[in-house]
Amino acid sequence: MPQEAGDAPGAGSSPAPARRRPRILDGWGLLVLPLVAFLLVVFVAPLVSILARSFTDPTTGLDNYRDFFGSPVYLDVLGNTFRISGLVTLVTLLLGFPYAYLMTLAPPLWRNLMLVAVLIPFWTSLLVRTFAWVLMLGDTGVVNQFLMSIGLIDEPTQLIRNQTGVLVGMVQVMLPYAVLPMFATMRQIDRRLVQAAEGLGARPISAFWRVYAPLTLPGVAASCLLVFISSIGFYVTPALLGGPKDMMIGELIVQQLSAVLRWGFASALAVVLLLVTAALLLLVSRIVNIGKFMGGER
Amino acid sequence: MKRVLTAGVALSAVLGLAACGAAGSGADQLTVVMWGGQDQKTHVKEAIQPWGDEAGVTIKQDSPSDYAKFRAQVESGKVSWDVVEVEPNFAHTACDKGWAEKIDTSIVDTTDLNPEEVTDCAIPVLEYAFTIGYNTETFKDAHPTSWAEFFDTEKFPGKRGFWKYATGAIFEAALLADGVKADELYPLDIDRAFAKLDTIKDDIVFYETGEQQQQLVASGEAPLVQAWNGRIYSAAKEGQPVANEWNEHLLSYDQLVIPKGAKNADNAQKWMKWYVEHPEAQAGYSNATAYGPITEAALEHVEPEVLAELPTSPENAPKRAAIIDYAWWADNYDEVSERLNEWAAQ
Amino acid sequence: MNTKLLCRGALVLLAVLTALYLVAPVFFVIPTSFNDSSFLEFPPKAFSTRWYEAYFQDPAWINATLNSLQIGVWVTILSVVLGTAAALAMVRGRYPVKALVSGLVLAPVLVPYVIIALAVYAVFLEMGLTQSVLGFVLVHTALAVPFVVINVSAALVSFDERLEMAAMSLGANRVTTFLKVTLPCIAPSVAAGALFAFITSFDEVVTSVFLAGPDLSTLPVQMWSGVRVQIDPTVAAVSTMLLLVTLALFASAGLVRLFRARRLAEAA
Repeated sequence: MPQEAGDAPGAGSSPAPARRRPRILDGWGLLVLPLVAFLLVVFVAPLVSILARSFTDPTTGLDNYRDFFGSPVYLDVLGNTFRISGLVTLVTLLLGFPYAYLMTLAPPLWRNLMLVAVLIPFWTSLLVRTFAWVLMLGDTGVVNQFLMSIGLIDEPTQLIRNQTGVLVGMVQVMLPYAVLPMFATMRQIDRRLVQAAEGLGARPISAFWRVYAPLTLPGVAASCLLVFISSIGFYVTPALLGGPKDMMIGELIVQQLSAVLRWGFASALAVVLLLVTAALLLLVSRIVNIGKFMGGER
Repeated sequence: MKRVLTAGVALSAVLGLAACGAAGSGADQLTVVMWGGQDQKTHVKEAIQPWGDEAGVTIKQDSPSDYAKFRAQVESGKVSWDVVEVEPNFAHTACDKGWAEKIDTSIVDTTDLNPEEVTDCAIPVLEYAFTIGYNTETFKDAHPTSWAEFFDTEKFPGKRGFWKYATGAIFEAALLADGVKADELYPLDIDRAFAKLDTIKDDIVFYETGEQQQQLVASGEAPLVQAWNGRIYSAAKEGQPVANEWNEHLLSYDQLVIPKGAKNADNAQKWMKWYVEHPEAQAGYSNATAYGPITEAALEHVEPEVLAELPTSPENAPKRAAIIDYAWWADNYDEVSERLNEWAAQ
Repeated sequence: MNTKLLCRGALVLLAVLTALYLVAPVFFVIPTSFNDSSFLEFPPKAFSTRWYEAYFQDPAWINATLNSLQIGVWVTILSVVLGTAAALAMVRGRYPVKALVSGLVLAPVLVPYVIIALAVYAVFLEMGLTQSVLGFVLVHTALAVPFVVINVSAALVSFDERLEMAAMSLGANRVTTFLKVTLPCIAPSVAAGALFAFITSFDEVVTSVFLAGPDLSTLPVQMWSGVRVQIDPTVAAVSTMLLLVTLALFASAGLVRLFRARRLAEAA
């Protein structure tokens, strides 16, 4: 796909001036309506009735929110949730970007094999996968045995029931979601641009970072967004691989909803989570322009 | 494109609704809900299906029991469950809030049941015990035989596994270990329990599922766990190096409740009657799982090797410290859960 | 040039390690599925196919698999259509309250599934949509559609719209331009979105546990039903079979491509 460097996503989605009309709804805009209608009916309407419970159950008022902000442990859980989601996003990006990049360079056979490796986790039930990590990372598991046999450590090091375990489990789940969008955008990039830059005297590394990398931004942003927001709701992996200090809000909500049956409080947790995430995404979009990429502002 | 989509949705709507409509029709049936897996299969095969065959009632199964789902069904008035296996603290809550039907004692004769396990809305379905589960390779010569020893990390070094939920008997064990007399356990002195738990905090690991429990103790990662006796029994049967210590075990049980407005509440009561009156059916389940039957009479139908692993056997019953007081737990579960979360996270 | 080689070497090493990490659980799952024990054990002790027999002898497993496939296909179709349309609108169109709409579209991934599950369950009970294919499809589509929108938006942002203008200036109408020019270019991203949508539905436990019942259950529900007490090793057998089917599909696709390439070469 030919594309000029000047068309980098930083400059927005290459506006076509001819189509710009001073209307609030145009032909393309209409296409969003089916999805909006669908989500309003299937998702928003039911959700509102539950979230309203945060103000009414068990008493009318803000008691549930007072409970939440009154207890350091709940704020810690919220903090954990964002910290762990952020770390998962960072690690998946660090592992996923080079992987996706190499996929674009590899010959077809190798590229397909790399693709298969990315797709394999999808077909292994999350339950079995998580339990596989429990067995592999435990004190008597293969990872510790291997590290001891090569003399790297003398006694088992703790790899689960802490943040390491949560990261190992979650990154493995999220990596495919990071690699595929990046690979899809990278494939569209014309590599001759990099060659041209090198031909004009740029060092390979600087040609890569200044010409190639900016073109990958939409894919990178899509990956990060997907991984981050998916991570926030995680429940099973942190519950099985983390320790009590790594509790994430998904687990807390399940506990409140299904075991303790404090539905109002569980709803309040969800409302706080939504608001904080929305604020965070807005803030980030000001800095790295995911707003533009999502069509938020043009 | 859009027309195809609409047609598609309409088509699937017809199919979907048709399937649902068929299910709603009120043939003579009973929908049983338990925790699922092999346990449920065995329970239905041994103690529910035989009644269904006898009474001409179709048995349907759902799993796992889910209290949020239970409450949502009752609140909406569209109840698809008829009899549900639950933890007793939920049974108490459900009864108090009017989410459960009362047991009709003119149908279900509860006189043979342990009165501590019967309430207005619930009868027991099985009994089990929180035992000291230990790894027989780590502790070849001596293993902890009391909760005090379980908490003694100098005499018996190694990690200790506890269930991560407050009703997992962790507080009862801590208080017994701290010298509280078994008959003075309730109301639980939670502050004192936490003080005792503080002394071994670095050695505690929490598990979430039965699978983890068995894996922790069998691998030796946590050679001691506060265990569910049946889990340890099945692991030992599969040749894993684990065993139950019965001394000072805490007796617990699951209950059966009928959701308020259940379509087949009558059938549920009738089956309960049958279940209570058929010790051999209870024993059939016990033989497969090592969870205790709900009547004394059933014990004579239990195989001797299983009997040795049951909390109500003549050999083990005297070793009991206490029965879990779920009425207390129903009132205090929220608050203690919150404190446990907080304590564990520190 | 040396630095470039070094970079490539490091890149390959990192990718190999990443690939190993991705597939590591498989080396656990496959042996475990052939283990003769009712516990998930590693390393396995004795060979047995009892968990495969358990799968094929229990209609509940087979029905659950068929339901999952059926629901997954519907969800994929619905979310690709709704999601691609929305992505086109979000990247190119003008409509009011854009930021709010973007938020709405992301929200289903963000709200913890258990809250969605309970909310939807309460409504679906009233409407008689629990235990129905339609009910599952509606909920799963809501959860899956953000994955399509994000993937396709990213592709559209990178897409050079001047190609479309070129096509139109050569006489193609809008629909032809979209189908013949735009769609092929964004196809990999649409495919990735479709795959994510299918997997979102196929793997979804939390909302499914609520919607399922004796009359209609799905594979993940079947896998999770007994988890509180014990994981059924049949789960490992199911995972292994899914893996093999996927690999077979990939291999056959590869063979077809090879075959075609050879035919072309012969024709030439």
